[in-house]
Amino acid sequence: MTNPAPQPIKIVPSKKSAPLEGQEGSLYEARKKIYVRAISGAFTNWRWILVWVTQLLYYGLPWLQWNGRQAVLFHLVERKFYIFGWVFWPQDVFFLAILLIISAYALFFFTAVAGRLWCGYACPQTVYTEIFLWIEEKIEGDRNKRMKLDKAPMDARKFRIKASKHAIWVAVALWTGFTFVAYFTPLKELLGAFSPFTFGGWEIFWILFYGAFTYFFAGIMREQVCKYMCPYARFQGVMFDPDTLVITYDEERGEPRGARKKGVDPASVSKGDCVDCGICVQVCPTGIDIRDGLQYECIGCAACIDACDQVMDKMDYPRGLIRYSTENAIKKHWGRKEIVGHVMRPRTLIYGGILAVVCLAFVWGLATREPLRMDIIRDRATLSREVAGGYIENVYQLQIMNMTEAPRNFDVTVDGLEGIRISDFDGKIEVAPATMQAVTLRVQVPVDTGEPGSSNVIHFEIKASDDPSVGVREASTFLLPR
Amino acid sequence: MKQILVFWPSFLVAGIAEMVFFTVMDPQQLYLFGQPVDFSPIATYSIGFFGFWLVCAASSMLTVFFQRSADDINRL
Repeated sequence: MTNPAPQPIKIVPSKKSAPLEGQEGSLYEARKKIYVRAISGAFTNWRWILVWVTQLLYYGLPWLQWNGRQAVLFHLVERKFYIFGWVFWPQDVFFLAILLIISAYALFFFTAVAGRLWCGYACPQTVYTEIFLWIEEKIEGDRNKRMKLDKAPMDARKFRIKASKHAIWVAVALWTGFTFVAYFTPLKELLGAFSPFTFGGWEIFWILFYGAFTYFFAGIMREQVCKYMCPYARFQGVMFDPDTLVITYDEERGEPRGARKKGVDPASVSKGDCVDCGICVQVCPTGIDIRDGLQYECIGCAACIDACDQVMDKMDYPRGLIRYSTENAIKKHWGRKEIVGHVMRPRTLIYGGILAVVCLAFVWGLATREPLRMDIIRDRATLSREVAGGYIENVYQLQIMNMTEAPRNFDVTVDGLEGIRISDFDGKIEVAPATMQAVTLRVQVPVDTGEPGSSNVIHFEIKASDDPSVGVREASTFLLPR
Repeated sequence: MKQILVFWPSFLVAGIAEMVFFTVMDPQQLYLFGQPVDFSPIATYSIGFFGFWLVCAASSMLTVFFQRSADDINRL
């Protein structure tokens, strides 16, 4: 009796992860189209409220007027950002940096407290997918109808349905793109460009570009954006701890899962509360099964909570088989009180503390922001020269930025050396609203003052004529010949 | 889906680079081959963005290229 020769191990790829032709299987599995089942419930309502709030803001803001101009406009051509009463200049990049830090810490803080709140409710990807799914459902019908339609061969009816869906998607996407451009180019100019059709090439390009992104991300790519393209999904785990509220399936209560008749006491059939209806999987926009535990694909939209609560109601079981809970709470059978009691912990206190400090710094910075700025550039071409009357002259260029939206008069003075004066200058400069005015000043000192060389510090001071508390003082040096 | 790995991270980084670069630089102060740039600002911003994107995409492409395992290369 001989042993059969060892067979080479054949690797049979599982059907689920069979790579597509020409694709690298180890990177991405072939995508199965996810047919998201629509659901209603408390968390779905919250998601829709957020859709309305964010989109009313996004689509509406460019139409708001303020002081006779667009209220929110990031005017790239003028290099000025108008936000209601404020005008920001490139020099105000400090505020942008602080705003980014605030966003980052807000994200850390909310993630530590309750997981991916941002992803589930407020992220544009979620919001637009929600809108596009709603359109799809209205036109193609519910989940079963959509699956049937996709399986059916192309005919006139299918073509009509698909074409109208895509047409409406494209319309929404184009409007989104148009709105996007209206944040950077005044909306009035854009509206004026409709008839006669005088859009600039780049404006058309950006409308189409942003529109195409909306269309593909919300209509076609959907959950793949979250799974493969979102950096936050990859590092979210760093901010989680056992006291973070996440969407959790109560395994102890649910298992062993299985079908049973309505109203049957689970204990009498020695089963858990999960009836294994699979609706939590059908409503999941990323197509995962929450019952497998916390997964990085979960965007925390809580659709499965709404779905499961509906099923539990039908079965006359208590709600909350899937619910917001924490790892510790599930393990130690905590109630709401203990969970809330653990929201305050070093991690959240540190994130929250930094967030509060940075927010205060932002508000303080805005409140104490001087509506005036001055840059001094000494003319390096002429250096110093002797002029008639026994004076040494240096030439400076002052760049005065009036950040208010009213014209303003400023008084300019210079000090620091004995007998210093500005030649041919009445000491007054008018600067138009929200503009930068450059002025060239010839500053002179008597020949016998100061030290030879460049160690003579002088100060330019400008003060608003109407309000002396608004002013800046900047130092420069006066060059004297050796 | 390799395209995503090349074009998406580069898109994100290009967006950041664009913001930082044009916060510091005024497009009207740029010089191209010794001549002041005379495109419209929007055109300069746009070209700048796609320039950054292209450079970042090249880097991502090399990353993806070097990431191939020995098996992938030997199979060729």
